[in-house]
Amino acid sequence: MAAVVVRDLSMTYRVPVRQGGLAAALKSVVRRRYREVHAVRDVSFEVAAGEVVGFVGPNGAGKTTAMKMMSGLLHPTAGTVEVLGYTPWQRRTPFLKQIALVRGSQPTGGLQELTVLDSLQYQRVLYEVPAGEYRRNLDELCELLELGPLLERQLRALSLGEKMRAGLALSLLYRPKVLFLDEPTLGLDVSAAAAIRRFLATYAGQTGATVLLTSHYMTDVESLCRRLILVDHGSVQYDGPLDQLSARLSPYKLIRVSAPSAAKEDFADIAEVVATHDISWDLRVPRDQVARATSMLLTTLDVVDLAIEEPSLENVIDRAYREGV
Amino acid sequence: MNSRIPQLVAIRVRNQFMDWSGAWWFTVTLVANHAIGPLIGLVVWSAVMPSGQAPVSYYVALVAVQLLTASFENHTFSESVYDGRVSHDLLKPQPVIIGPVGENIAIRVWMGIFGLPLTVVTALLVGASYRWSEALLAVPALIGAAVLRFLWTWLLALAAFWTERVHAIVAFGNILIFLLGGTAAPIALLPEPLRSIALALPFHAMLGLPAEIATGAVQGSDAGSAILLQLGWGVAFAGVAAVVWRRGVRRYAVIGA
Repeated sequence: MAAVVVRDLSMTYRVPVRQGGLAAALKSVVRRRYREVHAVRDVSFEVAAGEVVGFVGPNGAGKTTAMKMMSGLLHPTAGTVEVLGYTPWQRRTPFLKQIALVRGSQPTGGLQELTVLDSLQYQRVLYEVPAGEYRRNLDELCELLELGPLLERQLRALSLGEKMRAGLALSLLYRPKVLFLDEPTLGLDVSAAAAIRRFLATYAGQTGATVLLTSHYMTDVESLCRRLILVDHGSVQYDGPLDQLSARLSPYKLIRVSAPSAAKEDFADIAEVVATHDISWDLRVPRDQVARATSMLLTTLDVVDLAIEEPSLENVIDRAYREGV
Repeated sequence: MNSRIPQLVAIRVRNQFMDWSGAWWFTVTLVANHAIGPLIGLVVWSAVMPSGQAPVSYYVALVAVQLLTASFENHTFSESVYDGRVSHDLLKPQPVIIGPVGENIAIRVWMGIFGLPLTVVTALLVGASYRWSEALLAVPALIGAAVLRFLWTWLLALAAFWTERVHAIVAFGNILIFLLGGTAAPIALLPEPLRSIALALPFHAMLGLPAEIATGAVQGSDAGSAILLQLGWGVAFAGVAAVVWRRGVRRYAVIGA
């Protein structure tokens, strides 16, 4: 069963424009000119209940706008969205109690002078979480997010990483069925980002929540999502398994081989050498020739180590942004 | 949902009260800012009418009314529109207005805590006097004034959905309250037809009316009619605010949250 159904979704903004200079400024007082910006164009997809989907694209691609429409903040110019059977922008109470939007740019809303515990108790009342369930969920969130030391601290005094942990706890306390994550690791250091990723993977696995994730960090997408929706210029450019995007965009694999006695010319008939590091070599091989190349390397050279790698997702996505899918 | 609204408002007031506890010193400056207008009126009108007790008692009562009806929705709600925090509130399962209402009440409680002792000291120093019965009769008008002034400021603060110059709009609204509400001069001392116009407009009901009832300047059926007029303005403002709110949110949702 689909938790999110998006059909022909479009969003067009009207933005004021004028030429530079005093005359144009005066003219704009009498007559304003506008330009239409198509942030999202005819986007359609479905997300099954329990699925974790990466929603990626370059800056200005329209992914945050689409996510705001799916969560109910924006009203589209055209098209329909159904989340758990509700039209999001009607913002019905039963709908709002089943979804959460977590934004890395603003992880915690609400009253910043309150402690994290005060804020969690406020969420309990707001979302009518029964006392027993509240205690269970809080214990679990405290353990997964290492929230204990933060409970008595004011929201305004938390670091960015701590704010994100608190923001996730506030958003997940009532166990939303659909979770919209907009850049959840934005600005976090490596350890904090890894902790958030571990938590999200555990949470999604344990609760069966449907998750839509936007992120510019491909590690987030790789570690959490099997399916990727790639958006650019407001339209869906790719919707499918993550590994198939790599295969489609990068017809090569990378073989890293350590061979102390090898010389560059030894590889001439096997593969293209793309980098050398002391005794190790990086070779680029067409996907359909990986088995043959590996076999030749092992039989013709004195190999001490060998690894076959997919090109990094960063490179694949970069290529998709620059050249299209 | 509706049966939960009083509970949600009460919790919001409590939370906002705690939130503002970290800025008590700022609240003191708010008290000073809001008390200064009526205190200047007190000095000026005491000089103009040196033998009159009425302006003294009126302006001291006006200090209390001013402190307990002060509204800052351009600083609280409008700023949340500008920096996007209102998005969090739009996705909460409760009416958004509960936030501004809760914060409004919490700020007034803090202003009362710091400002009412100042008012009592001023009353003792200048020899203001009141009858208990008239002071109690002024309470319904005071509550009406508090609601009306919130609705007025909230209505103007909703302009934040259309312009980033909301502070100028609310400042103009406050000037109208100052001029026609009874701070610049007690309404009874204004020349006709200005006096009748001021009595018919909502600004007198936002500020001067409770002080006039407390001092016995307005009594009996006159007080009853004035409170009914206050109620009428409250209903009108609430209706207009509801329409503007819906259009504002729709615009926010169309141009980008």
